[in-house]
Amino acid sequence: MTMQALNQLVARSIIDPTVVDAYSGGKISDVLSLFDFSADMRSQLSGIQANTWAEYAIQAYGIVKVAEEQVSRITLPSPLEGLLPEKGSADKEQVA
Amino acid sequence: MISTTLEERHWLLRNLAQGLIEYMSVTRPPVPVEEMLRHPPSIYERDFGVVDMYSSIWDATFARPPNRRGSIFVCIDIEPDKRHYALARETLTALITSEHGRRMGLCKLFTPFLLESADYFARQLLAPDSMVKAFRMRNGNRENFGLEFQLPARAAKRRWNEDGASAA
Repeated sequence: MTMQALNQLVARSIIDPTVVDAYSGGKISDVLSLFDFSADMRSQLSGIQANTWAEYAIQAYGIVKVAEEQVSRITLPSPLEGLLPEKGSADKEQVA
Repeated sequence: MISTTLEERHWLLRNLAQGLIEYMSVTRPPVPVEEMLRHPPSIYERDFGVVDMYSSIWDATFARPPNRRGSIFVCIDIEPDKRHYALARETLTALITSEHGRRMGLCKLFTPFLLESADYFARQLLAPDSMVKAFRMRNGNRENFGLEFQLPARAAKRRWNEDGASAA
């Protein structure tokens, strides 16, 4: 969702000058609050230092991408899961 | 100026194209690029335009005459799909050299990579991921892809094989 929000923000910036105005005026956090970013992500994105809006967007992409990769690593099951024998059946084999 | 990777530039170009697609409120191909250039968003009133010309040198080229509106000068006697693509490709130059584009920092970022960036931008503008995905869900195939999106054969082949299109 966060990358989707960033995509929407960047897409909007090409036809809506208020996005770049807010960035240039040091008020990008006001614009970020209009999109679906978590509070933590909004804080990270508000703290980016860049010379231009385009550089800001590229840096934001890097931050969001890393965050989304970490989330997907956490939510994915271990590849080992399902390979281990169930405890019950292992016990039965030992008895046999 | 920060250094950028190809992946980062492509991501930015996809979203710039998406912004224009949303402005046009278009959900199905072909994307009316020429219509947008003739009736641009207010922020690009001094940057978008189309002028037909005869040329044996180029298919289309963007120019900004002094104190006049920037325009894409397009060869009058090329095939419709090539005209469509050339206009989309030159739109990137119009965008990044516009006052708004320069203010965004797009000119500095993309000028060193303009040729490659303009072609990628054109493919994304004329065939955005969402439309390519919908096309494939309607059982669209590679043979009629170019026809439906009004893409020249080479551009259609490249777009079909790109991430987001082939994986859609």
